[in-house]
This record gives sequence, structure tokens and C-alpha cells, in this order.
Amino acid sequence: MSKPTTDRADKQRIAESLEPIVTEAHELATTLGLDPYPVNYWIVDYDEMNALVAYNGFQRRYPHWRWGMTYDQQRKQRQFLGGKAYELVNNDDPAHAFLQESNDLADQKAVITHVEAHADFFANNQWYGLFADDPNAARMLASHANRIESYMEDPSIDREAVEKWIDNVLCLEDCIDQHRPFSTVEDWLEEPSMASDIEEKLEELDLSEEVLGQVFNEDWLESQRDEDGVATFPTEPERDLISFLRTHGRQYDEATEKAVEFEDWQREIIELLRREAYYFAPQKMTKVLNEGWAAYWESIMMGEEGFAEENEFIHYADHQAKVLGSPGFNPYKLGKELWEYVENVTNRRAVVEALLRVEGVTWRNFHDRVDLDRVHETLEPAPMVDRIRSDRLDTLDGDDPRIDGDALERARDGEIDVDRFPWKLLTYEGMAERHYSLVKPQHRGFLKRISQGTVERIARYLFDDSRYGSVDEAIEAVNHTAGWDRMYEIRESHNDVTFLDEFLTQEFVEEHSYFTYEYMETTEDYRVTSTDVEDVKKKLMLRFSNFGKPTIVVEDGNYNNRNELLLAHQYNGVMLDVQQATQVLERVFELWGHPVNLKTITKELSENDIEVARRRDSEPTPEEVGKLLRYDGEELSETELPWEEVSHLAATDVDYDTKPEEWLA
Amino acid sequence: MGLRDDLERFREVGEQRRQDLSEFIQYGDLGQSLPHEIRIPIKIVDLPSFEYDQRDQGGVGQGGDGTPDVGDPVGQPQPGDGDEPGEPGEEGGEHEYYEMDPEEFAQELDDELGLELEPKGKRVVEQKEGDYTDITRTGPASTLDFDRLFKAGLKRKLAMEFDEEYVEAALKVDGMGPQSVFEWARSENIPVSRSWIEDAYEHLPAEERTTYQTIAEMEADVDRTPTAARIREEGIKDIPFRREDERYRYPETIEEKERNVVVVNIRDVSGSMREKKRELVERTFTPLDWYLTGKYDNAEFIYIAHDADAWQVSRDEFFGIRSGGGTRISSAYQLAAELLEEYPWSDWNRYVFAAGDSENSSNDTSERVIPMMEEIDANLHAYVETQPSGNAINATHAEEVERHFGEDGSTAVAYVTGPGDIVDAIYTILSTEDNE
Repeated sequence: MSKPTTDRADKQRIAESLEPIVTEAHELATTLGLDPYPVNYWIVDYDEMNALVAYNGFQRRYPHWRWGMTYDQQRKQRQFLGGKAYELVNNDDPAHAFLQESNDLADQKAVITHVEAHADFFANNQWYGLFADDPNAARMLASHANRIESYMEDPSIDREAVEKWIDNVLCLEDCIDQHRPFSTVEDWLEEPSMASDIEEKLEELDLSEEVLGQVFNEDWLESQRDEDGVATFPTEPERDLISFLRTHGRQYDEATEKAVEFEDWQREIIELLRREAYYFAPQKMTKVLNEGWAAYWESIMMGEEGFAEENEFIHYADHQAKVLGSPGFNPYKLGKELWEYVENVTNRRAVVEALLRVEGVTWRNFHDRVDLDRVHETLEPAPMVDRIRSDRLDTLDGDDPRIDGDALERARDGEIDVDRFPWKLLTYEGMAERHYSLVKPQHRGFLKRISQGTVERIARYLFDDSRYGSVDEAIEAVNHTAGWDRMYEIRESHNDVTFLDEFLTQEFVEEHSYFTYEYMETTEDYRVTSTDVEDVKKKLMLRFSNFGKPTIVVEDGNYNNRNELLLAHQYNGVMLDVQQATQVLERVFELWGHPVNLKTITKELSENDIEVARRRDSEPTPEEVGKLLRYDGEELSETELPWEEVSHLAATDVDYDTKPEEWLA
Repeated sequence: MGLRDDLERFREVGEQRRQDLSEFIQYGDLGQSLPHEIRIPIKIVDLPSFEYDQRDQGGVGQGGDGTPDVGDPVGQPQPGDGDEPGEPGEEGGEHEYYEMDPEEFAQELDDELGLELEPKGKRVVEQKEGDYTDITRTGPASTLDFDRLFKAGLKRKLAMEFDEEYVEAALKVDGMGPQSVFEWARSENIPVSRSWIEDAYEHLPAEERTTYQTIAEMEADVDRTPTAARIREEGIKDIPFRREDERYRYPETIEEKERNVVVVNIRDVSGSMREKKRELVERTFTPLDWYLTGKYDNAEFIYIAHDADAWQVSRDEFFGIRSGGGTRISSAYQLAAELLEEYPWSDWNRYVFAAGDSENSSNDTSERVIPMMEEIDANLHAYVETQPSGNAINATHAEEVERHFGEDGSTAVAYVTGPGDIVDAIYTILSTEDNE
């Protein structure tokens, strides 16, 4: 953007000085079991960094004011943070990561270790595979940029019209079907959703002429069509609004006041933006998981493995505290805490299982028979993995599975600086023992805290219960890699929603002081409502399911038999931001060409209800009312609907309201 | 194209799509504005999307030191879902602001609502300096009209210039001496002095004095070049600036009436004025204040809070106060009348705006408030009733005032039951004033 503050030679020099660090980090990551995409590191200056952040980590994006907005905010915000260490890596193979030249070495190292973990996540999490196994992202985004630029420069197309069109589509960028693998709009079309396929389907069913004649007669087929010969569509509510509009939408032509076919460029832009939405979706779906993952491995590498030298470490710790210690709810921190919790729980389970297999130990006498303090001591990593020093090399056994035999040879030949890089002599097993979670000072007490109920649950599925003669023998057999092994499985198959749903427990919620809050109508502020895990989970689900947004589907593409569009809000008990929804409707109209409608359910409370509740010192219960929002190209309207028209939209299975029962009037 | 373009486009789009004025008045964050600089958040520039209602969604927080108790207030929702660019956990969603001054605000509101409020000038401010259009012969150097001096000098130069070669050639005619050449030059309208001719004659070598036989012969041989053409060819070496050509600019003296306004804002702060009502008052009064600030040269504000008694407060306190007592609206008008004595009706435009939920102690409206409203001279009296849930039975102040004054051009009554009514209320108030 502005004049580069450093010339290329300087950046080159910094890049070269970082090369050995990158190699080391990659080696360390691999030893820890990570399997990242190769990463290309780039040195950029402050301005370039801000620009890259605005472009989501890429060098080229299609022209749009939104990037300018992010860039501007980015500059302003980072001014206050002193433009410090910023980690930016994109999901691509190879991944590209950007290091800011003004960062000091400790920050660069932290960023590099963090990035290696992200690159592992990109490469191995299955949700990223939904888009493509080889995303080829930089090229895709650059080619989209070229296409859109060419439309903007085309003298026969109004540049403003192109921009507006992009805006219209971007309003719906989260209205896709992110849980299905990405397919192009053409392929999407082939998935049978149109009732015009009915006859074809009937043929496939291979029914007898008789049945066909009786049940699926012409009258029935006719009833499945409207007057144009097309049945009501979509047959099932459609979540991929963008595809639906791309396929069935029209643009509104002001001059003739009619809906007319899209221009080619309009259709193509919808497709390009939809593809980008699918590309970015996995990152939005795995924020807690992915950021927590990176923070976890960064802290292992930087803090525990001494990747930062001692004089750098204080600086690093300071930075780390700033990032993770900021007040309030922080999804990155939640992620790291939950990963550590999963690791601890898995390790503890392995230990308890082993202990329950000691002759005479049952869940009933567990806490009496087993001296957990002693267990704790026994679990400490063996000196062989924990205290590796150049003067103790002869105590190491090259055949032990925890020791990398080849590396030990080289160390003995003086090729490895053992005191600086002790981990180079270890295998994954060795590292797992060296970093065994249950004995870390910050997790001390985790093992002892186990309740009898939990022990009982573990015992329930245990059969071979007298395998070991003594506690020591059992502990000896405990697999130190259990925690990490489980973590690697989870990072492969989970997303934020499944991760939180499966692993959040009351123990975790209490240990980390999580709580839910709700808005109180009577006191007009937010109040703590619950510390129960189920409530916390519900609120987190709300925040992380479907990108934290309400689910909107296409219900009818020929509403009222007048080619109108009917969208429906699948109401889960939390109402829409109605004001924004109407603004979106205005833009959907541009993509549909005919009037657009949205069914939703709102909550209504009168001042009087609130006053009454206030006097009773309770919270009022709002009335749920069906609403139809409609935009016909000129006017917005909002009409009340009878309940039976919206009752199918109201979910009754989960109540997201966490207010205590006794508060309600 | 590139990010630089994107940034530029953002600024343009931001300007166009800053929050629509009436939307801002109804729902916007008024608190970010200062009296003389209205800051309209342009976060709205970001595209809308289907979102949950923020209040209805609730959320999850994390305690710093232990878990807070159920029922504890948590302050504003805790931000930082990592969506915002920047460091995780950092306060996200910093708004961009579009800044307007009150003049611009008033102009926009006029455009949007079709208002035509012409502020009246009242107090005469003596001898205001107008434009520097008068001229004198003396003055400070900085006000010297150099353009004029230069033009005068140029005219002078043109008037004094002559074709020297041509006059010299006349001296070369046999028998023509300085005297006869001078006479010839005068007849030819050549502005040459006698002394110049004499001087030239002396320097003319004797043999050249007889080059031509007659004037006619000389004229045939030498072309006379007109002054303008010669200047164009040779340029001007110097312009004769003369003291007598100097003119100094001087400001016109204008007698101007300053447009002064004093606005009295009265608010019921009694127990029945709950948060929603309070907010509606703020949303109605604040734009009115801005508007009048923008319209008048000099605007002053008086803030009066009242329950059964009235007291003057500062603007900062005005919208926040909440008291317990009953309501007697006349107490506020009493105080307003006293405070307005400092702003004589002859010199000041006056607006008296009151707001409340129309509850008043019995007979106070008819027996005291209405007579006082009639008594206090003002461009406009207004009462804004903020009653989110329609009328309470005994809340009749607004109706009584409306019934009494009717379509009178100096009293407005507006009803605000929700944010959607605010813009209408503002229109009602600002369009009521008689503009005669």
C-alpha cells in the first residue's frame, strides 16, 4: 500500500535467518506427531500484513470495498496493539504463512510453531476435505479476481452494478449447505430436488402399471404441478439459498418492471462467490478447534520444549498472556482449554482403567485402595526422556521405542546439539511421555479429583479386571500416548459443534468458570443465568452451529402461485434480528426478480407485561407470534400469521433459554 | 485495482451508506456524538445478513476469578468471537463513524423531512465586517489591491510607450530639427517628450541627419510598429508603479442580526419514567437540539429535570436522572420562566420542549401549566408524550394541552410510543412553528 519500509534485501536477510528455525520447527512438529502441509513463509512489512489480513491471507482477491473496510479497521486496531506479532496462514497446499519483519525473534518462533499446527489441521481435518483435498486456493481466488475485474472493466457493464451484485450475493454467503461436500451448481442441480423428475423416478421404481394407474395417475401428477407444468419446488426445504437463487432466480429489470433472465456475468459471479463461501466454510466451522489446536501445540513447542531461548521466553510468555488472557469469553482460549481437558480426561481414563485392572481394586474401593499421590509420582516421565543431557548420552538405550536410535548415534558423534535440542533424540512415544499431561504442574490434582461416579462409569465397560498384580505394575503398563492419540483422532473428524457437544462436561465448565447469561426485560441488563453444563453447551451450540446464525431455508419458489419466493426461518426459540432480515430481503429481491417473503416467529412483550413481571420480581414470558416479512420491490411489510402457518417452523426439542424456571412469571 | 482501490471504494460507499438519518435517530448510537460533531456510525455499511436477535440470543461468559453467581449482572455482552480481524479476544467491531456538523445535520434533516424552518434574526450585532469590497487610498500593506495597481501601471506604460526607432527616423529627415519633429510626433499622437527628442538628436551622427529627403520618404522606408505589438515582441522591462495608483481594499460594514436561540428541554424524571420512556425522550430531544444548533448562529440550552419539583441540570446529567417522587409539570415551567428572563424575547428565539408520560398531578395541567405556556413567549412550545404501551388512564397532560391549543402555530404535541414514531414526532414539532 504505502511505501515499503524495508527493501527486499532486508526481507531476504530476515527470511534467510529464519530458515533454520523453520526447519527445526517442522522437525519438532513432526516428532510430536503433527503432519502439516508444507508451509512457505513470507516476510512482509506492517502494511503488507494488514493488506494480507484484509484479503484473508491471500495476495489477490476480487475488487470489493469490504476488503478496504477490513484493512482500515485492521490498521486502526493494530495501532493500539503496536502492530505486534500476528499470525496469518492460509489453507492451501502448500500453505502460505506470513511473518511480519518487525517482530522480534521470539514472536517469529511463536508464530512459526503456531502455523505448523494450523497447517496440520488444514491438511488432516475432514471438514476441509469437503471442499477439496487439494484446495489450490491461491490460484482459485486469483482467477476469480481476474474474472470479476474483467467484468468491472467491461465498458458494456456498469461497474457499480457489478459491485451491487456482489453485495447482494455476499449477504447470503453463510446461507449454504456447509455440511455437504462442495459441488458445482451444475452438479447440485443433478441432485433430484425438482418434481419434474417425478415421472423419471416413478419409472425407476419399476411399479406395475396397475399401481401406477391407481395411485400415481395423471390427476396425482397434475396435483404435483402448478399451471406451468412444474411441481412445487423445492420438494424439501433447501438450505443452499445461493444455489437455489442461481438456478431459479431472475433479476428485476427496472425499465420494463419485469423479472428477466440473469446476465451471464451475474450468473457467473454468483457461482464464484458461492465457491468461495464453501472454501471458507470449514475455517468458520472449526474456529475453536483449530485455534485451540494451534495454541496447544504452540505452548508445547515454545513453552515446554524451549523452542524460544530463555531470554526470548519472557517476552513470549508476555505475549501469550496478552492473547489468551484478555478478559471475557474467548473462543481461542476455550479451544485450548478444551483440548487440554480432552487430553487429561483421556489420560486419566487410561490410568483409571489400568488401576481398575489391579487385582482387588473395584470402583467402590478405588479411592481407598489406591494411593493416587503415589500413582502421580510413578507417572512422572522416566529420566531417559525427561533429562536428556550431552553428558548422559551413555545412559540412553537406542533400542528403546522412546528413543530415536539413529539420532542417538548422530548425537554421540556430536552432530546434534543435545543440550539445546534434547527432543531430537526422541520418538513420538518418547515425546508423549516427556509431555505427559497428568503430571504437569498446572494439571496437578486432575487425577485426584476424579469422582467415584466417574470411576464407576469407567468400570462398567471393563471386563478383564484382574490383569495386574500391583498398582506399580498397572502404572508401568499405562500408555503415555493415549491422550495425544485421542487428540489426533478428534482433529481429524470433529468440528466446533461436535467437539463442544461431545467433550464439554460439568467438571470442565466449573474448572474454567464458564456461565451463561441472558437479557432481562425487567432490569434491562444482562444477568448470569446458569453454570450448568447443559445450559453452557446450549448457548455455545447457538453460537457455533450454522456459523452462529439462524437457519433460513427456501420453502417455496412459487409462493402463492405467483412466482414469489418464500423463505422460512427454522425457529429454534431465538428470534431473528428482524431489522437486518428485512435488509437482506431487499437484496434477495434483486436475485429473485419477484416479491420475496420470509416466514419467521417473533417474541412479543408489552410494556404492561414487563411492568407486571417487575412487580412480581420475575421475568415476563413473551408471546410467540408468526410473522410474514415481505418485500415486493418497493415496500416492506410485516404481517401477523396464524400460528398453524408457522407451527412447522418452531422447534420444540431444545429450549435455548437458560433462565432459571423460578425466575419466570 | 487492488487494495488501494478497495479502500477508496470503502470510503465512498461508507459515505453513501452511513446509517440513514432517520434510522440513526431511531436506533443509532447517539451517545458517540458531541454537541458540535454528530457521529453517525457507519458500521451499517457492512452488509446485512440473517442474524439472531442479539438480546434474545444471550451468551456464554467466563469468570476471571471464579464463577459469578446466578443473578449477577454481567455488563454488556462479552465480545470477541474471533470473527473480527485483529487479535483474538480484543474488543471487536470498532465502528467507523461518519462525522457531520450540526449544519449538515440540519440540512439533511430538512431534505429528508421537507422542512422549511427559516430562523429569524433577532439581536443586532453591530458593525459586522462584510467582504472586502470597498476601496480606499490608504491602508495596511496587506490589503493593497495589487491587481488593480498592476493594471493601472500597465495602462500607464502603454500610454507612455512609443516606437523609438520611428521617431529617430523622423530626425533623419533633412531639415527636421527637434522642434519640428516634436510637432510632427504630437500630430501623429506619439507620446514622446521634447527632451527625449533633443537628446536623441544630439546623439545622432551629423551625416545621418540628412538620410531622407522628406517625411513621406521616411514613412515609406520605416514601418511604424504599434505599441501593443512591440510589447508583445519585446516584453516589458518594467511597469511604472505610482503611489497615486495604489488602492486599498476595505471591508464593507454590514449591520447583521444574529440568529440566537435558546432551547429549554424539560424532562419528567419521576418514578413512572422507565428506561424505555427515558430513551425515547433522549432520541427525540437530541436530534432537535442538533437541528436547532445547526440552524442558528448561536444556540444555548437549558436542561430542566422535574418530578414534583424542578431543578436545572447539565446536559450530561439530563438524560440519566431517575428520581422517585410524583409529578408536577408546572414546577418545570415555573423554573423555565425564571431562567428565560436572561434571554429576553426581543433578542432571542425561544423553544420550550417538554417530555414525559403525560402523567401529572390533578388539575396542574389546566390550572397552571397551560396558562404558563401561554405566558412564556416562545417560537414554539412542544410536549412529547412517551408512552410505549399506549395511554395510561390518568395520563392526560398531552391531550389537555392539545385540546386547549388546537392547531395553534406555536404549540405542538407529539406522541411517541416507540422508536418508529420519533421521526414523525420531530417532524410534527419542527413543522408546527409559524413562519411569518
